Amino acid sequence: MDLNPGQDTGATAAATNATNGDSDRSWQDPNDTYHHTSPSKKPKPGMVRRSRKVEGGIFFPKPENAVTIAVSSRVLFRTETEQKVYKQRGIEEYLKYQVEHENEPFAPGPAFPFVKALETVNAQLRELYPESEELFDIVLVTYNHAHVGVRLINTINYHNLFIERFCMTGGSSPIGYLKAYHTNLYLSADSEKVREALEEGIAAATMFMPEKQTEVSETQLRVAFDGDAVLFSDESERIFKAHGLDKFFEHEMEHENMLLDHGPLKGFLESLGKLQKKFYAKGQRLNCPIRTYLVTARSAASSGIRALKTLRAWGLETDEALFLAGAPKGPMLEKIRPHIYFDDQMFHVEGAAEMGTIAAHVPYGVAQKYQHHKKPAEKKEPSTSK
Amino acid sequence: MDGKIVLNARVQKKDSSQAVVIAVTSSSIFDLEGWQKTVTEEDKQELQPHSAANENKPFKMGAAFPFIMAVQRVNEKLLEMNPEETLLFDVILLSKNGSPEIRSRVEDSVVHYGLDIGRFYFSGDDDFAEPLRSNNVKLFLSTDADDVCKALERGVPAAQLYQQCVQETAGPLRVLFAGDALGLSDDTEHPLREQGFSEAQLQSIAAAKGAMKEFATCMGEMRRRFGRDGSSLLCTCLMMAWSPRDVCVGALKTLRGWGLEVDEAFCLAGAPRSPILAHLQPHILYDHGLQNARNSPAQC
Repeated sequence: MDLNPGQDTGATAAATNATNGDSDRSWQDPNDTYHHTSPSKKPKPGMVRRSRKVEGGIFFPKPENAVTIAVSSRVLFRTETEQKVYKQRGIEEYLKYQVEHENEPFAPGPAFPFVKALETVNAQLRELYPESEELFDIVLVTYNHAHVGVRLINTINYHNLFIERFCMTGGSSPIGYLKAYHTNLYLSADSEKVREALEEGIAAATMFMPEKQTEVSETQLRVAFDGDAVLFSDESERIFKAHGLDKFFEHEMEHENMLLDHGPLKGFLESLGKLQKKFYAKGQRLNCPIRTYLVTARSAASSGIRALKTLRAWGLETDEALFLAGAPKGPMLEKIRPHIYFDDQMFHVEGAAEMGTIAAHVPYGVAQKYQHHKKPAEKKEPSTSK
Repeated sequence: MDGKIVLNARVQKKDSSQAVVIAVTSSSIFDLEGWQKTVTEEDKQELQPHSAANENKPFKMGAAFPFIMAVQRVNEKLLEMNPEETLLFDVILLSKNGSPEIRSRVEDSVVHYGLDIGRFYFSGDDDFAEPLRSNNVKLFLSTDADDVCKALERGVPAAQLYQQCVQETAGPLRVLFAGDALGLSDDTEHPLREQGFSEAQLQSIAAAKGAMKEFATCMGEMRRRFGRDGSSLLCTCLMMAWSPRDVCVGALKTLRGWGLEVDEAFCLAGAPRSPILAHLQPHILYDHGLQNARNSPAQC
């Protein structure tokens, strides 16, 4: 669904050039039409309708109708060994290695549970709305060479994932393709690519492999968001960083009724909300397969009010809103066990990861200039920590 | 008008038994100002005044001019690496209009731009297919989809030249293979049948695979001359428009078997390909005319 306000469909200008192999001139018979195998599909008169049946009757939605999630191979799967080969022995050896190990599937990476959960939601949506294209569409976007394609597809088969769309750019930037696919969310291990995507108005986050992973739900997709600089803009955070906590509170109280500007992940929350409403319409509000959380350092009684009012004005809501008033987020997230948690500060991302939460970094806003990480000593000895 | 192939004496002759011989229409490379087809007497009268005024002027660059520049860069680099190289592009420039005015203007334009075009072929009304076949042309190229279809009908391997949105003066020669035909074996034909293709179309798709082999093999060999970083000079791509991922694996393996390891691969599973193509900007779009039947204007 093309909801993200920052997205532009700049490709359409070039795409109207009808003679680039896309004319409707039929190959043999100008009146050739499809014969759909499914009797319920009626071809629209006068227009040759593209059939979307691919494998086993499951069809793949048009990118502009679906919520398109682009994941890179390094976050969907674990490719640390191969990364090492690339760094130590160069690209020729790396590609040779990949081809030699072509039939060995990769292990699941940090985005794997999230993608599996998306598929669970899709299965339920298809049951309730068999003709609808409002589904999650997962695209594998990697700047790997096509040589690695065989291994990636073998791995997808092995893990039984429903991914049919791929984009292997052989080293070029994938950003243009993200736009062409109407991407609603891009997950990558490369923060530079993520930054580029954010600059183009595409919601994006960097994912890291946590050292330990707690179990997540297999029946309910859970997505958690930080507030400032993720759902909202970083305007308030700027005040905090520049003038301190007191000034921040003052500012928020004064501007309680003024809406915050939107942040990079607002559009994605909106997409989730639209899908949630489809479940509500079929009486599934209480056990909706999608659940969203706001996990913010703001406090409920003061600065949190502005956040809630903003969400309400946008017509959005999260199922749960946790106002931590500055308390550490780790324990709360550990209870929620989201399939993914978005935060703009590496400090929180690492803290969450330490407790086994799958966290993704959104490199947006003023916090990027003030990044401080958890001390290395703490990270290397998780067993001795609190 | 004799449909003979004429040498361009100003360009060093290539060994056409070793080279990758391609034929390109002059209307793709140049803006022929209305002279592209053999004109009737009435048309001639209309165009004559313009012609007189422009008589000795070279034609302006056409939609596929960046393509011919990219081909030239590949040749130059190959010769740089090995002055004895024989695996080069050998270009035949095909013009349907063989009138003397046009001949000299086309020839002059080629000289003006310094194009590495080895031969001219002014076909006139004659069937252009036979001389192409007898001259070992591996691929016929045009920006005009009609031209491509006619060539394919006459058994000449043909592909479309994509209309470049941006006139790029640097960058690789981009060759895109539409691979839905390539990954098929007898048992995988099934998914395409479900997509609604007729038997006749399925047969064309199967035939397309054989036709692509020769050109793909040449591209593979040429690509290998450049090594890993060669995608800055020659970039090969595979695009699957509808096929499921297993057919994509089949296509990659087929190409690998022919000696072509593509740089980029895209599997669209039914998504419209225009936005991807607009970003990718391939020069050669080798899809055997298949796509023309599938897309309706509303989806571009």
